[in-house]
Amino acid sequence: MPDFTPFLVAGLATAATYVLSGVGIVVLYRASGVVNFAQGAVGALAAFTSWSIVERGGPAELSWIAGIAAAAAISFFYGRAIAPRLAYSDPVMRAVATLSFALILLGFMGYVWGEAPRRLRLPTDTMSFELLGVRITMTRAIAFGLGLLATAAVMVFLACSRLGLQMRALASSRELSAMLGVRVFRVDGWAWVISGVLAGVSGILLADLQRLSGQALTFAVIPAIAASVVGRFASLPATVAGGLAIGVCEALLTPVPIVGPFRTAVPFLFAVGAMFWMQRRIAFVYR
Amino acid sequence: MADQSLEVASPIPTARLPLGVAALYAAALVGLYLLPAALSDYWLRTLISVSALTVASLSVSLLFAQLGMVSLAQFGLLGVGGWFALRISHGLGVPFELALLTGGVAAALVGLVIGLPALRMRGLYLAIITLMMAGAIQVLISAFGFPDGGSGILGKSTGTRVMMARPFLAQNDEAYLRYALVIAGLCYGLVLLHVRGRPGRAWAMIRRSEVCAFAGGVNIVAYKVWAFALAGFLAGIAGGLLAGGVGQLDASAFPASQSIMLFALTIVGGAYSWIGPIVAGLLLRAFPALLNDFRVDGNIATMVFGIGLLHALITAPHGVAGQLRDLVGTVRRLLGGKRKAGP
Amino acid sequence: MKFKISMAMVTGLLAACVGNAAYAADPKCGASTGTAAAGEPIVIGGIVSVTGPDNFSSSGLAAAAYFKCLNANGGVNGRPVKYQLEDDAWNPEQSSQVAVKLIRDQKAVALVGNMSFVDCGANQGIYEKEDIMVIAGVGVPRDCFFQKNYAPTNAGPRVSNTKAVMDVAQSYPGKIKRVVCIAPNIPNLGEWSCTGAVAWIKKQGGDGKIITFDPGSLDATSVVLEAMAFKPDVISVGTPKGLAVPIFAAAEEQGLADKVHFTGPASLYNLDFPRAIGKYWDGKVTVDMELKAADAATPDMQNWLAVMEKYGQASDPRDTFSQAGYLAARVTAETLMKMDAAKIDRRSVTAALRNIKRFESDMWCSPWYVGDGSRHNANHAGPVSLVKDGKLVPKQVCIESEDPELDDVHAYEKTIGIAK
Repeated sequence: MPDFTPFLVAGLATAATYVLSGVGIVVLYRASGVVNFAQGAVGALAAFTSWSIVERGGPAELSWIAGIAAAAAISFFYGRAIAPRLAYSDPVMRAVATLSFALILLGFMGYVWGEAPRRLRLPTDTMSFELLGVRITMTRAIAFGLGLLATAAVMVFLACSRLGLQMRALASSRELSAMLGVRVFRVDGWAWVISGVLAGVSGILLADLQRLSGQALTFAVIPAIAASVVGRFASLPATVAGGLAIGVCEALLTPVPIVGPFRTAVPFLFAVGAMFWMQRRIAFVYR
Repeated sequence: MADQSLEVASPIPTARLPLGVAALYAAALVGLYLLPAALSDYWLRTLISVSALTVASLSVSLLFAQLGMVSLAQFGLLGVGGWFALRISHGLGVPFELALLTGGVAAALVGLVIGLPALRMRGLYLAIITLMMAGAIQVLISAFGFPDGGSGILGKSTGTRVMMARPFLAQNDEAYLRYALVIAGLCYGLVLLHVRGRPGRAWAMIRRSEVCAFAGGVNIVAYKVWAFALAGFLAGIAGGLLAGGVGQLDASAFPASQSIMLFALTIVGGAYSWIGPIVAGLLLRAFPALLNDFRVDGNIATMVFGIGLLHALITAPHGVAGQLRDLVGTVRRLLGGKRKAGP
Repeated sequence: MKFKISMAMVTGLLAACVGNAAYAADPKCGASTGTAAAGEPIVIGGIVSVTGPDNFSSSGLAAAAYFKCLNANGGVNGRPVKYQLEDDAWNPEQSSQVAVKLIRDQKAVALVGNMSFVDCGANQGIYEKEDIMVIAGVGVPRDCFFQKNYAPTNAGPRVSNTKAVMDVAQSYPGKIKRVVCIAPNIPNLGEWSCTGAVAWIKKQGGDGKIITFDPGSLDATSVVLEAMAFKPDVISVGTPKGLAVPIFAAAEEQGLADKVHFTGPASLYNLDFPRAIGKYWDGKVTVDMELKAADAATPDMQNWLAVMEKYGQASDPRDTFSQAGYLAARVTAETLMKMDAAKIDRRSVTAALRNIKRFESDMWCSPWYVGDGSRHNANHAGPVSLVKDGKLVPKQVCIESEDPELDDVHAYEKTIGIAK
């Protein structure tokens, strides 16, 4: 029987980045009805921007802010310039359009930065403490903390602020909200910014925890989508639980013989399982 | 937009121009004979891949145009078809055709399993669930690898790698391209047969409204499952063709991202027209080959595909094929106008 | 910007390594006539992976530089070499396309300086069918060392892994009992590249474990923890350098450098590597080399640097793969020069290349050969380097790989008089 504690601790930090991305996806879907497959690519752009600034000798703090700002900006640009043109097409087509956005970003990053052995470094990597016999760097602790904190903040924001109220209104009915005087595009734009910021934070953390690679970070969106599916693209707490469960299960399966090599299939199993579980209920709206 | 079918969208008004159709067939036959002989070996191999990818794209467009369903797992099914074709070919030494068919049937079965969720969901959730399936197939393929002539269930060789035997009739690249084109033509025929027949009508009703179809006595479950199985079969055939072209397959070549790319370019090519899958096949394989010939960075192709998809989604829902048809229509109008003005 | 960095690094390292700038002397290529060749060109091809998960082309670039130098110095008895380099993008399909382009369309007489993860497997059939000889720069998967028409100048990941582990075991005699070898689960590469090292440690009475992982999976920490669960004395990170970086990062997080010895095969031997893994690893990682060190200051080594300086781009890497590409080009050129320049065609070239029974260079630890064996793995000895002060500092001893899989190679060497 292998000792699972280190795997649990390691998995929690990765899980937190899934949670951050997943929450971004859910917030955006609730406000604007778009499932954003480009969440990972936007995060990758943030990480590359950060890395470039640090490489040229810029201060680390500035680089993160610039990275996150770049992510928010590109996300806002898509939300404002392109998404409205598809506002009246199918939800599938709106989602597929974000795939094209991801492809453009992926090609751009490949062209500009290429693939090379890289890793983003944060000063918190060298600070660490012991817990349950495992060394945990501050970066991991921060990632986990941020994951929970961001979710809580978003939930409070949606529940208490005026903008949050408008976002919830949009989620219920776009047309009715517009008639009641909600400025749809403005609220939409904010949702894109929030999801961009969350994507940026998640991308930078993932680039530090694992590696800085356009391909890998772009397709890290799949576990995040799986987490959102667990939350039915609606419930934030369920998304958080889904993201954590996916990340931790993936890590925990590592030392298990035979199953170990297949552990990357965990997000898919979770998503498929969750969908079938939801199918069980009649109330589930599938379109 | 959702009412198009392969038949309606055909830019050639078949009923009125039997002579024209005959000429088209004749031209196709002559082309089939002349084209491969005129090509360099580089382009022969590239076009072999193009014809395989055309069949793959046909499978995506079948689901999308006929039933309005988005499947993001079709490239994974290519891998499944290729795997079984290779395994059968190496293990039993059967003729290529049989290996190809086995690959097709195996992929059809897997496609059927992937299609099962489609019985209860459609739209976005179906897209996501098929994407997840594509991911799962990728994990399986990269864990098992492709058979390369060894023994055992997985067929992994410990000695030298064995290449897949090509069809008896098509040993060299030139003949194999002709062979692949004929197979692609047969696949088109198979789809056309379905679309023009009973299944096509049933699919059209299901696409319009499942309730209406149900009321009209259409067996929704059977026809939906059949569509997915047929699409899987086509993808499997494409995988087998690809395996025969290169002689083997590589486990890293079937990621979920390729399924996304296949779907994207099917839309760009035009899912509602018979030209669309051909355009998609050319974009997927010939365009990067062209870029490579001119030493242009391959990442440019990814960007171009992204922009093309966005363009197709926003302004040209019928893709390149639709724009070609508009062009043909314009030219015909202009010519017609001239003819009237002439005498 | 990537290029600027590597340029600065390369120049810096070269200045540091070679100091006295002895390589500034004119490079020697072919007959060294100093006059450009103007006859009918001889077409030679090369397949490398440029786009894709990693830029894997340094061997082809070095071969290109050497042929350029050759052409400026009389060529092959007056005939210039037209060297055509193609990108296979890590894709077997594209690899087979560019292979037929070079072999059938361009009528190349040989392929030289190949460096790819997919080329050997995808093109084995066509190489044998057309009976064209490939003098590869860098062979990676198993297929590269197990075919009649493919002779790499490098040693391969399996030999390299074995040597890396042997070196650690020799540095700490009696302390190394348990080995973990980490490799990507790429078919014909992952398991195979690790089996040599594990077989060797088992022969020494120790135990070994192979961990393969899906390169698409991101969780490096899990991989490292899985390795630690075996309680190893040494961990060999046998992955492409891009995948090694996160593994070293995860190990750093766990503070493992002081608990376990880390090493890796030549795939990590890259000037960027020490910087990519960071200061923490200073003096704590050894990396195997397939050829001798760039600063060995021996004549052929200096000539390689001089060729790259004068005929290569400043951005071309000066790594072990570049050395391998230079050697492949040199071997081919000097073989062609012994032939009748008018009678150079594919058949005669293949026969002449197969007939190489001994080729010496101070870049190899032992003489290199092709021979008519059914497989080629002539290079199986080399030094090991240590990551130190942001550089890879080589130890000046050649280590001979004691991988049991090389038994047939050793036996063959006795028949052609290379080994005693």
